[in-house]
Amino acid sequence: MKVTIKSWTGVATWRWIANDENCGICRMSFESTCPECALPGDDCPLVWGVCSHCFHMHCIVKWLNLQPLNKQCPMCRQSWKFNIH
Amino acid sequence: MCDFAALWADVVKIFPVLGGVNQAAAAVSAGPVDEKVFENVRHHLTMFGGIDTFAALVDLEIQSSIRKVLVPKFWKHFHGLVPPELQSGFSDQALAIEALPDKNRLFTQFIEAVNELHEGFQNLMQVKPRLIQLIGNAERPALRTVKLMQEDGIKNCMRDCLLAQLPPTFSVVVGAFYWVHFKLFTKASHLALTTVDSDVFDELLCVGCNFDVEQCCCQKLTEMVNKTNTRLFEMNLTDRLTGSALTALIRLKIKEHINDTCMGIFDRSHLKQLETWLSDVIMSWLANIFSEWKAKDCMSEDDAPAPVQSFKVKLTYYMYETFAQSVIGQFFSIIIDYPDSIPAIDDLKICMEKIDMRIYLTESLRSSLEARILHPGVNTMDILTGYVAAIKAIRHLDNTGVILEMVTAPIKDYLRKRNDTVRRVVTGLTEEGPTDLSEELAKGEAIKDGKDSGADEFSNWENWEPDPFGIDASVMQYNSSRKMRSADIISMVVDIYGSKELFMTEYRNLMADRLLSQLDFNSEKEIRNLELLKIRFGESLLHSCEVMLKDVTDSKRINAHIHGESNRPENQQFDISSLIVSAQFWPSFNKESLQLPEEIETEFKKYTKAYEAYKGNRTLNWRTVTGRVNIEIEIGDRTMEMVVSPTLAVIIYHFQDKSEWTLEDLSAITKVPQSALRRRLSFWQNHGLISETTPGLFTLLEKESEEKSQFEEMSLAEADEEDLESAMASASDQREEELQVFWSYIVGMLTNLDSMPIDRIHQMLKLFASHSGGVEFTQDELKHFLQRKVREHKLIFSGGVYQLAK
Repeated sequence: MKVTIKSWTGVATWRWIANDENCGICRMSFESTCPECALPGDDCPLVWGVCSHCFHMHCIVKWLNLQPLNKQCPMCRQSWKFNIH
Repeated sequence: MCDFAALWADVVKIFPVLGGVNQAAAAVSAGPVDEKVFENVRHHLTMFGGIDTFAALVDLEIQSSIRKVLVPKFWKHFHGLVPPELQSGFSDQALAIEALPDKNRLFTQFIEAVNELHEGFQNLMQVKPRLIQLIGNAERPALRTVKLMQEDGIKNCMRDCLLAQLPPTFSVVVGAFYWVHFKLFTKASHLALTTVDSDVFDELLCVGCNFDVEQCCCQKLTEMVNKTNTRLFEMNLTDRLTGSALTALIRLKIKEHINDTCMGIFDRSHLKQLETWLSDVIMSWLANIFSEWKAKDCMSEDDAPAPVQSFKVKLTYYMYETFAQSVIGQFFSIIIDYPDSIPAIDDLKICMEKIDMRIYLTESLRSSLEARILHPGVNTMDILTGYVAAIKAIRHLDNTGVILEMVTAPIKDYLRKRNDTVRRVVTGLTEEGPTDLSEELAKGEAIKDGKDSGADEFSNWENWEPDPFGIDASVMQYNSSRKMRSADIISMVVDIYGSKELFMTEYRNLMADRLLSQLDFNSEKEIRNLELLKIRFGESLLHSCEVMLKDVTDSKRINAHIHGESNRPENQQFDISSLIVSAQFWPSFNKESLQLPEEIETEFKKYTKAYEAYKGNRTLNWRTVTGRVNIEIEIGDRTMEMVVSPTLAVIIYHFQDKSEWTLEDLSAITKVPQSALRRRLSFWQNHGLISETTPGLFTLLEKESEEKSQFEEMSLAEADEEDLESAMASASDQREEELQVFWSYIVGMLTNLDSMPIDRIHQMLKLFASHSGGVEFTQDELKHFLQRKVREHKLIFSGGVYQLAK
């Protein structure tokens, strides 16, 4: 007997490759959205800092805008720099 | 002196009634009595001064002759005519009339009796002029006390006597008389109604008199009847003696007519027609009875005699009442036929303005609904259809919603007890094809903002109307506010459970099921439905549904991208498409697992790689159990191509390398629990590919087996069933997952306090829950959850308290 698979329609869940589950700022899951967004994923992406912490982009940008002088990572207090992959 | 004997003979000549009982009924006297006789008697009486006494004597004698002779004779006619069982068996005399075997005989008997009575009456009436003639002067004061001289004296006396000796069956006899009369009267209209087809059968019998047409005696009968009526009227007996029987008969006729003409016909209005019928047939018949003695031509609508007028008012009301009752009795069918049955509802509306039938309506409707749809034999879908139709129909009848509230309360209660209600409602909302609910949804009435309608109520205060009278306050305990009562149908249906959230959760689950089972990445219809629902329920409740649908369209794009030439993974064995979902927004999946064979898994890894390359920093977790696989099986000399679930595909795939598997081995390699695996294997057994040679050992059948054909049909059905199996966790599983949040609290509590009864735990948790704004749950649910923990040996339950297992 020979079984040939011609096509397969599967179901998968996507997730961010990150070292944490929740955004440290809004406490929402990364796979969910920041409080301002409605749609997850592309519309509410994550960003990584060089310190390896990551947040919803909208959350960290808002945070940084609130910091008048030295922009720090809210988790480790190192100065924040975006880690561009 | 004088010859008393001669005098007495003279007196008797004038007043035969004095001559003894036996002669009373005989003619007064053959001809006019000689004036000489009068002179003689008057002379003697004046001489004795006994005129007054004499008049009183005559009067008494007349009365006694009425009492003893005329009336008993009259009643004797009817003796034994009515069968005894009819005398007692019918509480309603109208029914008794219908049941009479021989109406025509009663009819003739009645006419005869009336004739005789009338004869006697006329005899007596002649006494008065003679007395006056005798006395010469009627104005003597002493004569006023004598009944005879009073106006209608004899009539009244006779009526009194008749009524005093009234036998119980008489009304039946009168009823029969008028029954025949009515039949004669309506003969003309009856003939007009029954035209062609009945001609064939009824040719030989006249409808009026039941005789052969050739010897039809309707004309004669009618004359007799008319004469009788006139006589009754002259004796002033029509109303008193026959009134009640007449009313009963007419009521019966009205009822019959309504039953004949209106039963089961809801698509046109009947009231007008009934009113015309009443005035044309019944009223003119009555007028005929009461005013026969009048000349026909001077009679018109306006000067119909007073009794007829009062009859008309009574009967009109009675007709409305009967009609309304008949409509109400059939209201269930009216509800079911709703848009077509609007005329019937309009009719009822008019009736209800005239007569208060509200209580009767609610009672009867409630009980008929209970009898017809609120029992286990009815599908939930049908109940819902009935509910929606009831809402529409009753709202048409009464737009305050009060009746609706009272009538539908039991339906709501009942639906709440059915566990598939929510699912059915949601299906109804979104199903293809015209269902009531989806139509309603498509109307797209916007949600009413609480604020707006509040303002409305105030600005519109001039149009305020009080609640209708006669509401049972206890029925109104649910949302008694006017706003809720006037809510639209969708809200009414969703209202069954009192919360939108429940429905929206169920909607989400059903949509997830649909998307996962179709997997055709075609979400246009869903999007349309979602937009309609959003208009009604607001966006926030449906947010996750929106994300789900976006996942579908995104997946389509991603698949297209990955399948695109440039990105296609190298040496790919088969095409993979994937529905990539945002797990946070979907209902949780069930916990089934499936380990893919290595070759297949490599393919999936390739797809994952392609995805990762496309969407930076993101990866995929596969739900291997869900999906569908298009496979081609070559076995012996046949090939089968079919679409199956991944688990089935993997099972048959494993049989390629090894044609015999024990259940344990197969379970180990696929990571499917044995019980589930056995169920799946039966699919292939039914297809004749695998058989269980010894218990627990499954062998591939290379040759086509005989059994195959007979399983063919069954397997198709099974495959369908397979498709229907939900990929999502069941609602109760999800619920338990929600409660899982509290598990750590419970552990903490029990560690500190050692043991607690369930109500304490529930109270404490409610405290936490209200703080965190979290999940609501009942004590029953908690009990269920704790019981499971007991089964898992995490808790010990003894003496009514829970403890942590050591």
